Amino acid sequence: MALPYYPVNEFGPLMKGLVIGGVGILHVFLAQFAIGGGLLMFAFERRAQRGDADARAFVDGYFKVLVLVSFVVGALTGVAMWFTTIQVGARTIGLMVDEFHWLWATEWVWFAVEVTAGYAFYRFGPRLGDAARLRLLGLYALASWMSLFWINGILSWQLTPGRWLDGDGMWAGFFNPSFWPSLLFRTAVASTLAALAGCVVINTMDLPAERKRALIRQASRFAVPIAGMPLLALWFMAVIPADSRQWLLGGSMPMTMFVGVAAGASLLIGGYVILGILVKRLTLNIATATLLLALAFGATAAGEFVREGARKPYTVRGVLYSTSLTPGEVRELRVTGAIVNDPYPLRDEARYPDARLEHGAKVFRALCDACHTMKGTNAVVHLVQTWSDDQLRLNLAKLQRTKGFMPPFAGTADDVEALVQLLKWERAGGPATWATLAAEPDPRPQIKRWLDEVGTAPAQEAR
Amino acid sequence: MLPGGIQLLWLALYLVTFALHAVFVGYVVVGTGYALVQALRRTDDPIAERVRDRLPFMLGCGITAGVAPLLFLQLLHQEKFYTANLVLGPRWGAVVPALIAGFYALYLAKAKPRWRRLALGVGLGCFVFVAWSWTEIHLLMEDAPAWREMYGAGERLYGNAGVVPRLLLWLGAMATLFASVAVWWQTGAERKRLAMIALVGLATCGIAAAILVARGASVEPAARGWLYLLAAATVLHTGGWVWTLRAPDKSGPLLVAGAGTAALLVGAVVREAPRLALIDAPRPAALEASGLATFIATLAFGILAIGWVVQTIRDAKAE
Repeated sequence: MALPYYPVNEFGPLMKGLVIGGVGILHVFLAQFAIGGGLLMFAFERRAQRGDADARAFVDGYFKVLVLVSFVVGALTGVAMWFTTIQVGARTIGLMVDEFHWLWATEWVWFAVEVTAGYAFYRFGPRLGDAARLRLLGLYALASWMSLFWINGILSWQLTPGRWLDGDGMWAGFFNPSFWPSLLFRTAVASTLAALAGCVVINTMDLPAERKRALIRQASRFAVPIAGMPLLALWFMAVIPADSRQWLLGGSMPMTMFVGVAAGASLLIGGYVILGILVKRLTLNIATATLLLALAFGATAAGEFVREGARKPYTVRGVLYSTSLTPGEVRELRVTGAIVNDPYPLRDEARYPDARLEHGAKVFRALCDACHTMKGTNAVVHLVQTWSDDQLRLNLAKLQRTKGFMPPFAGTADDVEALVQLLKWERAGGPATWATLAAEPDPRPQIKRWLDEVGTAPAQEAR
Repeated sequence: MLPGGIQLLWLALYLVTFALHAVFVGYVVVGTGYALVQALRRTDDPIAERVRDRLPFMLGCGITAGVAPLLFLQLLHQEKFYTANLVLGPRWGAVVPALIAGFYALYLAKAKPRWRRLALGVGLGCFVFVAWSWTEIHLLMEDAPAWREMYGAGERLYGNAGVVPRLLLWLGAMATLFASVAVWWQTGAERKRLAMIALVGLATCGIAAAILVARGASVEPAARGWLYLLAAATVLHTGGWVWTLRAPDKSGPLLVAGAGTAALLVGAVVREAPRLALIDAPRPAALEASGLATFIATLAFGILAIGWVVQTIRDAKAE
């Protein structure tokens, strides 16, 4: 079997989801800010060309922020996303690149146009005529939104591959069931972020209060799409797989809490902007604007966490589990064993008192490490702290039944028992000696029966 | 020797976009070094002034241009690239914060004379670190036997003796690339200075290549034709610089640009030659992926759009 084994890195107490999440959330926040920023500046430039000098000053000031923040950290965290995804799930990013490389190349062209138009405006904007300024900003706004269009199809495919699973081809995967709600939702988020960042920038401008207030009201209108987000969220919820929806709406408390954080923060922002600024005509000072922007960051973070978590037990639904194994490979490894072809030694081999524990550590690395740590965040030792020996064996063998968002165990009874011994040993504090063969009678025949009973199908059908 | 079908197209796109990326990053690395030297000597000159002004933009272009070869590299050498990434681990990931720090340092050097020397020093350190890291990962990708040992030992540095001369070769090439771009914005004595930088860069390339050959490096027989082309283009390119040195306001830069472009593209092929036999076996998902027509149409639009932006700026400058 041509199953590639990649070396596995650990990140101390951080589970890999936090590592990719940290980079991803920052990147998404900045990228969406840049997209909304393009649209916002295009609108303000039009206003400026109708005689509003303050709008012109805002466009030039805002663009500097955009270039300094988004063009540097935003662009580079995009590169970091690739590198980090390789670190946490090389096969997932490999499959995405294989399947969508021409669309990724297409997105790159739009990105290049965005950067060129953006730098040109930043550098030469004040020297350009009105028509050229507007066209350049229009090109920048279009290109940045088109980047979102292409990447959104690739990312939403991971959760809802749709008819692509039936062999209907790449375009069926790209225009998948969650493509449009995701795209519109992200566009609304981008617009809101740009409006809030705009309010921060306007507050730093040297203008009389009344003129600032007028600009803030204009910028705030860009946050109005936030009012449509509940409907878009419902649309998204309606098209995602039933089991994913169930995790988000009560099936998994952490996921439900993140849904609540995202919804609550969005409600607060939307309420303040629409009722406070647009209806009641309140002003928005720099402290409040910054606070709202921070809330928006929190909402983005929670939303991205929800989007990532909803895919469990897959990274690409129906195709690749979070363990970076395909369903076919799981079936194969049930026969051959999880680590029999793993070429990489343990980095801490000397820690383990015997070969069975080393075996268990390799099984942990191959099957658990993608989402868990041993004793850090989402630590397996803590999760199984109170389980009895047989409970450990049963729950690991029937993993997809233990928790529906876990993938099926991809190994033999020997692998399960080695992992059980490792977890017990770690739970005991890692003593210098360990009687791994003391278990009588041999539990492996029973584990084998459990593995056979549960089979290799996931808890929920992928389609 | 060459792959066929769609893999050949990936390879061609990889080489062309890599060459484009090299032009921008060459300008940034050596430009930062040049500006730093001038800042330390406190002898600001027109070259340094212009370089400082353009460095952030050129780095932005370099990073943007670098995304495309990174994409095609993942199609051609997926398993090797990913494995080398993972073996080097967080140490490899440090290239991103280094680039962010370097980027802001360039803005600082441009805007704040008081911090200029420190900012340029930090920027240069960051960029050389990134160049070294890429050289390291390139060699590690080809050294599959080292992966297991490095991983087991937790080694994050690839101590291959080829890293230093290869990096030296690149720094020499970058000096030439920097001068080849900068020469168009200068005249007279500045052009002469840039010609000297380019010739020193070419000499550095020669020395580094000699070290690599002495250490056993060779070009596969099937790629020798490309090597001869590279030699011929380099001779012409060198001639262009000598001409520029003697008559800076004549047409030397034209020869420099023409022969330099040829040398860069052919050099990219020669650089890739040892890896051609290592290109991944075709993966069905990648071979069958659609979207090429969309990419071509978007590329055509993108070229036109960028052309329009350039023309708009020219018009604005003319006015």
